[in-house]
Amino acid sequence: MYRKKVMVCEMERKHKNIKKGRGVALIVSIILVFCVLGTVVYSAAGKISSQMSQSAVDNLSESLELLEGTVQAILKKETEFQKLLAEEIANADDPGQFIQSYSMNRTMVKISVISSGKDKGISNTGEQYSAEELDFSAGYTVDGLPFSQSYMNDMGTWAYTIKCPIKKEGRETATLYIEYIFDSFDEALPERFYGDNAKYYMMDAKTERFVLKPKGLGERTAGHVNLEDFYRANNILEPAIHEEVSNCVQSAKDIMFYHDIQKNESLIFMWAVNEGALYLVGYVPITAIQKEGKAVNQNIFFVMFVTIVAFLICCGVYLLNHRQQEKNREERELEKERHNKQLKEALHAARIASSSKTMFLSNMSHDIRTPMNAILGFTTLLTKDADNPVKVREYTKKITASGQHLLGLINDVLDVSKIESGKVVLTVGEFALSNMVSSVDAIIRPMAKNKGQALEVIVTGIRNEHLIGDETRMNQILINLLSNAVKYTQEGGTIWLRIIGLEQRSKQYERIRIEVEDNGYGMTPEYLAVIFDPFTRAENSTTNKVQGTGLGMAITKNIVELMGGTIEVSSEVDRGSIFTIELELRIPDGRSDEEFWRENKSMRILAIDDEEEIRNNIRMLVKEAGIPIDTAISGEDAIRQIQAVHERGEAYDMILLDWKMPGMDGIEAARQIRPLLSRNIPILLLTAFDWEELEKDAELAGIDGFLAKPFFMSAFKEKILELQGEQAREETAAENDEGNSLEGCRFLVAEDNVINSEILLELLEIEGAVGDVVENGQLAVEHFCDSTPGSFDAILMDVQMPVMNGYEATREIRALDREDAKIIPIIAMTANAFAEDVKDARDAGMDAHIAKPIDMEIVKQTLKKYVKKEEAK
Amino acid sequence: MKPSMKCLFLILLAGMMIFAMNACGKAESPDTNLAGQEKLDKKVVNVFTPMEKSDPNAKNIARSAFEKTVIMAEDQLGVTVEYQTYTAADYQEKTYDEVLINRAHSNMDDLYLLNPDALLTLGEEGELADLSGLKCVKNLREAVKTANTVDGKLVGIPQEVVAYGLFVNKDMFDKYKLKLPNTPEELLACCETFKKKGIETPIGANRWWLECFVFAQGFADLYNGGNTDAEIEAINSGKVKLSDYMRPGFEFLQELIDREYIDAEKAYVSEALEGERQDFLAQKTPIVMAYWGAANTDTAYGSTDFNMRVIGFPSKRGQMPVVPITGYGVGEECAHKEDAMAVLDVMLSDKALKVYAEENKVISPSKNVEVDCVDALKPLNEKVNEGVYVLGSNANLAVEQWGNTCLIVRDLLKGASVDECMEKFDKLQEEKIKEQD
Repeated sequence: MYRKKVMVCEMERKHKNIKKGRGVALIVSIILVFCVLGTVVYSAAGKISSQMSQSAVDNLSESLELLEGTVQAILKKETEFQKLLAEEIANADDPGQFIQSYSMNRTMVKISVISSGKDKGISNTGEQYSAEELDFSAGYTVDGLPFSQSYMNDMGTWAYTIKCPIKKEGRETATLYIEYIFDSFDEALPERFYGDNAKYYMMDAKTERFVLKPKGLGERTAGHVNLEDFYRANNILEPAIHEEVSNCVQSAKDIMFYHDIQKNESLIFMWAVNEGALYLVGYVPITAIQKEGKAVNQNIFFVMFVTIVAFLICCGVYLLNHRQQEKNREERELEKERHNKQLKEALHAARIASSSKTMFLSNMSHDIRTPMNAILGFTTLLTKDADNPVKVREYTKKITASGQHLLGLINDVLDVSKIESGKVVLTVGEFALSNMVSSVDAIIRPMAKNKGQALEVIVTGIRNEHLIGDETRMNQILINLLSNAVKYTQEGGTIWLRIIGLEQRSKQYERIRIEVEDNGYGMTPEYLAVIFDPFTRAENSTTNKVQGTGLGMAITKNIVELMGGTIEVSSEVDRGSIFTIELELRIPDGRSDEEFWRENKSMRILAIDDEEEIRNNIRMLVKEAGIPIDTAISGEDAIRQIQAVHERGEAYDMILLDWKMPGMDGIEAARQIRPLLSRNIPILLLTAFDWEELEKDAELAGIDGFLAKPFFMSAFKEKILELQGEQAREETAAENDEGNSLEGCRFLVAEDNVINSEILLELLEIEGAVGDVVENGQLAVEHFCDSTPGSFDAILMDVQMPVMNGYEATREIRALDREDAKIIPIIAMTANAFAEDVKDARDAGMDAHIAKPIDMEIVKQTLKKYVKKEEAK
Repeated sequence: MKPSMKCLFLILLAGMMIFAMNACGKAESPDTNLAGQEKLDKKVVNVFTPMEKSDPNAKNIARSAFEKTVIMAEDQLGVTVEYQTYTAADYQEKTYDEVLINRAHSNMDDLYLLNPDALLTLGEEGELADLSGLKCVKNLREAVKTANTVDGKLVGIPQEVVAYGLFVNKDMFDKYKLKLPNTPEELLACCETFKKKGIETPIGANRWWLECFVFAQGFADLYNGGNTDAEIEAINSGKVKLSDYMRPGFEFLQELIDREYIDAEKAYVSEALEGERQDFLAQKTPIVMAYWGAANTDTAYGSTDFNMRVIGFPSKRGQMPVVPITGYGVGEECAHKEDAMAVLDVMLSDKALKVYAEENKVISPSKNVEVDCVDALKPLNEKVNEGVYVLGSNANLAVEQWGNTCLIVRDLLKGASVDECMEKFDKLQEEKIKEQD
């Protein structure tokens, strides 16, 4: 088993490891895929960026070439025009007059001619012109014509002059100077360069002065004065760059390099124009150059991002779905397990039920067969020994006992059947606890006595002795519990019945706790768990011989719960058991007892008991009734108190004296007390024991009567009345008047069962009565109709009969138009023995109900009661 | 999966889809012609302004403020303002004013930023349009209108009233326990102390703004004596020699040069801020002179490591701000005169001037615009608010003062004597009187 467990654990661990390994592998795979994807995308982006960068450089070069071409073309056109003009001037008669015919425009702002060999000439404005300030020393030319260094002209704009020789007949006669302004390039060059992100200037190579600037004044786009200012403004301070630029400018090379401009990486360019006479200088931010590349990269990264997000969402959805499926699977598994468990439990319960029923049937078979066996066996013996009256009496006694036992079994089974079908109805009525206790005591005490057991009945804290409830069912509960206690307690054991008044929750209800305790065999925890289930019965070697249906406790519990109470049990094997019932029973409205006690309130009582609990209980009950009471803990104490009362000139009117006391017992105490009291002061002996045994000694000691323990005010009252002689006399007279015999009575018996009718007739005959038997209700009605009034003393009516049942027959008889039909006692004698049957019988007009099998004593008592009543009427 | 999770996923997926579709979708072409149409109906106004040499890490607030007003005009009028700029690379090149006058003569531009002398020159030549019809004129301070009215025409309106003052390193004054100077004598005393303390050149200067010393001393009484018009009339009529007003200042400058409190040679070849800025910021020079806006811009003295104060130039009447009224003018015969006038009207509206003044923290030419100045300028601002200042330019004075004095101060720097300088003033005055006659 252990090895199997270890293997299962090992397998689970392996399974977990495999799952964990798979998870790690999955994560690593995903990371790897992303790494590869990221690397590819990064490389692709880098490559694209590099390619785009190169393309941008190429593109910038092309743009600059275009600009250069434009500037070069303008210069070329200017020189071509100038050459043409020089030819025309050569052919003119008066060159000065000729050029004055040209007005200045926005390209050529000054046209001047200086004749060869002269320092000064004339301009088209008519002003004298000198070329002294012009600097052609750099040696730059355009289309072969000398190109001057840039200068600020009289118009306030940067200008340059190109000079062209005027030749006539192959001889240079003069020189044509035309001043052009750099602003004229502005109109030919593009307005925007890289979408306004790039700036370019035109620089005079020799002076490094910026002669054409972008048209802007923006904070940083403001024109720079010269190359030095350009360097400073753009933080291009590296000497190496300055030197490189200087070398390139000197050798008329183009330059392009990367540098940060205002924290943006930019491409700086210096592009030679006109063989390096002029330079296009400026910068383009990389972001502007690589706009497309950046956009492509952004798109790639965006697509990548979307892909990753989509992938992660898919993973998330998959995981959630997987988790959900797992959860559903687990739930299904759990549900399945629960169902299986429920099925198992149901199966187990069914098996137990089946087993219980089987066991019950087996038990019942045994339990029924045993008395049946006795009955049949003794019947056989009876037949055999019919001549021997002693044996006959013995057999009949045993047959009766077996029959009674059989009847008990049947009653229990029927009770359970009713309880299970929910048909039990409580018959609620007023009852006295004292009666209940005494009747139960009367039943149980002999049983206990037979087994040498002690039965102690203790009632404490009960404020209201009269309560409303189902006395029969209460009795049934107590008898069930107590008879079980007797059954399951060894000989010589002790059984306690405690009825304890608890604190009231409402003034209208008495809360009581009933404890039935024994120090018997006790029960196992396993049996305790099922003790209240039907068809269970404790069995062990000790109790195997105990018989029962196994229904008593189930019935008890159901009745208690029907009454709104609770029942609990605790038990230990060989230590005993205790059943605790808690009930709330209504307190009836006003009681006649109160009047009795009011009348006797002048009575003074002394109660002597060594047990404080009992003492207090008596004191409480008597005081609540308004009677003065003193208590003493012993005979000696009682004597002292009596003497003390006498010394004060007072006296007790009654002494309640416990019998069992340490030291001086009740008899002895009475003996010593009696001389102290006058003879008419009654001394009552309180005892839970059979008083008959003490009667003689008690009388000798001067005790006037016995009061059964536990102490009840109602019993006390009756005792007082008895002592006062009234009730006693009445009852004695009544008893003397009444006879137990049914001698001379005649009954109409409606009974369909021949055996039953025969038995009844036989029994009646024994009592000296006779009966006319009819087989059904209809015949009973007819027979009664046919009889003369007063022919029958009563009608004994079965209920379940063919043709007409007992109820209908009773209704018809009561409905007859004859005087005795209304008053003749009709007594139901039926196997329908439930409370509702009794009610139905009364509703039908019957006077009483006797359950079958017939107990002749009950029949006699009932008949006497009604027949006598009838006679009295 | 819980319904809420399902909803979340659906929303997420829908969002992703919309995002991706938007990101990947291409914009619909409005029509088949893909060429831009920006160049159609483009209205252009050319503006000619000076340009400071660039500093890579500096913020030029003045330029930002100017640009904001230009943008307002562009937005409001739908025109494009194109800039033409010039700054002499060195002293040998033509000055901004010279280039400006040449360009104005050739009608090269529409709108010009004019220094007082150029304004007077071009105004007198009739090269500038009359701006008195602009809506913004009614908001201008009277002093502005008076200073820029030539031959009855308002030829220039500034965006700020430029006040010149002495920028001093207060920490250095405190270090040597010197009081900020009120009079020429006090300044000399301070310079003497600085010199003794090893400061090689106590006053940093360039070839442009030294004339402020002259104006402060020469015109302190003229503009603050309560008899301005009569005195100007006397000068214009020749009753009083202009040189008499100028001499004290020149003599003072000569003394500063002689005592080597000013490096005349360096000043002569230095453009504005170029020669003295670095030394002042490096606390090698405790005193420089500059215009109001220089205290606000990083390209000048907007950010110093020391406690800077801007005070008036010393005079016998105490510290004296010098206020040359510059202005924007429109070429009388420029190509886009109407648009240029409209642009100027927007740029000089109260709304635009408020934006300009708030950005640049300057004195606004509009009487309706008041702006707090930086702490350093408070001493100067107090004087201006009190009405204690001298004008650096005044079109009512027949002899143009700002440009001429600047040139004559350069002669002084170059070695001319004070008398020779005064002769030039006398000559200018005489020529002017002759012209008037």
